[in-house]
Amino acid sequence: MTCQELVRHLSDYIDGTLAPEDRTAAAAHLAECEKCHLVLDTTQCTILLYRAAQSPGLGAERREALLRRLEKACRPPGSAR
Amino acid sequence: MSASGPATGPSRLDELACLESMRRGDPTCLGGFFQAWGDRLYRLSLRLTGDPASAEDVVQEAFLKLMAGAERIEGRSRLATWLYRVAYNASIDRLRDRKRTAPVPEEGDDEPAPTPALLVDFLSPEEMLKDAETRRALDEAIAALPPSLRAAFLLRDVEGLSTAEAAEALSVTETNLKVRLHRARLLLRERLSAFVAGRGERREGHP
Repeated sequence: MTCQELVRHLSDYIDGTLAPEDRTAAAAHLAECEKCHLVLDTTQCTILLYRAAQSPGLGAERREALLRRLEKACRPPGSAR
Repeated sequence: MSASGPATGPSRLDELACLESMRRGDPTCLGGFFQAWGDRLYRLSLRLTGDPASAEDVVQEAFLKLMAGAERIEGRSRLATWLYRVAYNASIDRLRDRKRTAPVPEEGDDEPAPTPALLVDFLSPEEMLKDAETRRALDEAIAALPPSLRAAFLLRDVEGLSTAEAAEALSVTETNLKVRLHRARLLLRERLSAFVAGRGERREGHP
């Protein structure tokens, strides 16, 4: 497997969705190619970074206010307000 | 590293029972539903619109649609997929409305994935995240992606949807979803590599 092919298969390799023979070829290439190994390593790190860096949610105050608005809207069809 | 599992949340049966009671106007389930999905939808929309007020609107719109039963949730479509789809479409609508005033990165589904150019080692995610600069770099890198790539990355890699679920949420084929995800990962890797290189950060023991 060439470096170019490895990069093309990188996401499938990470997700475990490569065909067995391609996976073996990719693993063999990664064992020998320091550059591709670094690309794999930093791509996995990128995914983990975004997964770990939870962006802020609504916040308690806005969450409560929005829930109150939705509860008001949740009425049986045709019921009096 | 293998793909992460399916999105967690109420079980399918509970979801459907809750949904039915909400359609009848019973708000008992609403709090639990909101607890499970409010922040998730908000985060996705915030990443897509970049605007807290728009993101809050999107969450409200998604829940109102859910309660109104405006669209029946098909048996094949899990509630999660349905909610993410509504939130994605509502976010894209708001982006389009703002397009005249705020630039949106161009779509580029046909472009090939970038060839990795910058090769620098990262510190561990735990180490990197101690630094507020890293968090800013993460925000900027993802904001620079076209929304379609952003959404593919967020649903698959952050929210943990399967390829099939994410494809359904974004109304694209699984092949197209995989192409977008691959491009998004490589583009983000490249941008974060530029950030790391700029700061001269190296994992210990590596030159």
